[in-house]
Amino acid sequence: MFQKVLIANRGEIALRIICACKELGIRTVAVFSEADRNALHVRFADEAVCIGPPRSSDSYLNIPHVISAAEITDVEAIHPGYGFLSENANFAEVCEASHITFIGPSPEAIRLMGEKDQARRAMAGMGVPIIPGSEGAVPNEDAALAAAKEIGYPLIVKAVAGGGGRGMRVVRSQPELIPAYQTARSEAEQAFGSPEVYMERFIERPRHIEFQVLGDKHGSVIHLGERECSIQRRHQKLLEESPSTAVTAKLREEMGGRITAALKKVGYNNAGTIELLMDEDGSLYFIEMNTRIQVEHPVTEMVTGVDLVKAQIRVAAGQRLSDVVPKLEFRGHSIECRINAEDPETFTPSAGRITAFQLPGSNGIRVDTAAYTDAVIPPYYDSLVAKLISFGSSREEAIARMRRALDMFVVEGIKTTIPLHRRILEHPDFAAGKLDTHFIERLAPAQQSVAAK
Amino acid sequence: MASKPKGSSGKPSQSGPIDFETVARVLAFMGEHSLEEFEYEGGGFRLRLRKPGVPFPVSGRAIAAPEIVVASPAATPNAPAMPAPAASAEDVHIVKSPIVGTFYESPRPGAPPFVKVGDHVEPGQPLCIVEAMKLMNEIESDAAGEIVKIYVQSGQPVEYGESLFAIRPGRRK
Repeated sequence: MFQKVLIANRGEIALRIICACKELGIRTVAVFSEADRNALHVRFADEAVCIGPPRSSDSYLNIPHVISAAEITDVEAIHPGYGFLSENANFAEVCEASHITFIGPSPEAIRLMGEKDQARRAMAGMGVPIIPGSEGAVPNEDAALAAAKEIGYPLIVKAVAGGGGRGMRVVRSQPELIPAYQTARSEAEQAFGSPEVYMERFIERPRHIEFQVLGDKHGSVIHLGERECSIQRRHQKLLEESPSTAVTAKLREEMGGRITAALKKVGYNNAGTIELLMDEDGSLYFIEMNTRIQVEHPVTEMVTGVDLVKAQIRVAAGQRLSDVVPKLEFRGHSIECRINAEDPETFTPSAGRITAFQLPGSNGIRVDTAAYTDAVIPPYYDSLVAKLISFGSSREEAIARMRRALDMFVVEGIKTTIPLHRRILEHPDFAAGKLDTHFIERLAPAQQSVAAK
Repeated sequence: MASKPKGSSGKPSQSGPIDFETVARVLAFMGEHSLEEFEYEGGGFRLRLRKPGVPFPVSGRAIAAPEIVVASPAATPNAPAMPAPAASAEDVHIVKSPIVGTFYESPRPGAPPFVKVGDHVEPGQPLCIVEAMKLMNEIESDAAGEIVKIYVQSGQPVEYGESLFAIRPGRRK
């Protein structure tokens, strides 16, 4: 087991990693920018090294400074957390070259999964379904018709060179196809300089389902069930839960089996998450893989009893999955709300000093946070203040506990998204498990009684 | 918490339990370099000294009363929250490390140091080397004046923003 580990991150995840290290008897080194001098991860680590000015690119993303800090403190391993350098294959290589263990997958695995098209082709080749689509650009109308036969309707025609909603057309039936193809091409040429378009199946109300996986350095890979993260705004997750109301035990076993078989083939090790979309018929399609621990890992920890961060450290140290996770059982239900320092209606960031900070507690509540009374939320990094996690023997109990905890969570001095989460949990569709990625758009504007709190 | 220096200024010549004199020397060393904590391991023992002002991170009170860093973009991003090391009341310019690494006072082991206290330096003149990832980075003076204090020892690890030299600005006499 490692004697000393450097945490190349900040905020709540840095604290989370320090917790795991403390429990494993590992000494910790924190790195911090000048804006984080009074941060909790700095206070609770055994050693701390300032690695730069506030801007991430000059500090937390500064590979030479991070590696240098690791060298002068003589650590054996680096845990990259999430974001920052966690999916930077170059950084993983530099760690290896410096004889420091990178607590994560190999640089090759990071590279393979980091390139989205490559990852999709690799997974499809190993029996994990991907969204039906044209392989690359569709050169002419005949090709479009042929592709549409394969893909099925509804489908979307999208500019290869673009994004942002331009050069896109949804097609719901064959008569619409050619006009849509032509319009999309001319729009794409005007907006992005290239008329190239590709086609893929369009899912009107997709559900975001992801599978947690864990591999060791001896060839074993397991999955730890799924999480549903359909409640998002502009592709930013707001609320996650496990298990998903849309995933049956049979589907979990089937898809989980395909995923672990595919990852065994690529020799994946350490933690990762396979992200999928579920269509209206309940079919799952691979979208991408994140080769790191994720923000929402706690809900999986609650329903499996597996400490994922300790597991990461242990497999990185060479331990076998059969020892790290001897038996996997799913129990109960867990929900996580991401409490951000943002206006709950306009979502504008609300940096500043927290003047009151009172955490909810009691049975079935967990809070992962690096905030505290008098802490200043700096404007340089993400706006996550706290992760509020509930656990219950049933989904109803997890919801009831989360509602109660949101009511008893006091944060003053900054605005937070707590009122938004209350509205989400009060919505009848949420209780009914009727979720898809457009859920947030359907939330009615806040009423006075709720907004006043 | 400041980063701990690796190794110490004076290795005890004998192994076994250290004597009071050595502890007193270490305490003086800590005061001289404004260290809050010192740890040394070797010769079969480990010595760890922590100044009483440093809060052990278990009490909520300690955490509730930290020094607040106002992180507004209008403020100079490079302004350190750490209090400037004790220097005399006179105007000194502090040269701080722009990188993380290991400080060396000489260009090569055994060679004379780049500068010593009392030397006059000009902007651009190399003052020291900070080694990072096997690369030797020369740190140049950004002021003209006399070296009045050197804060670090050769072989000591330094963090970003760590004070290295105090220069009393002025022209060459």
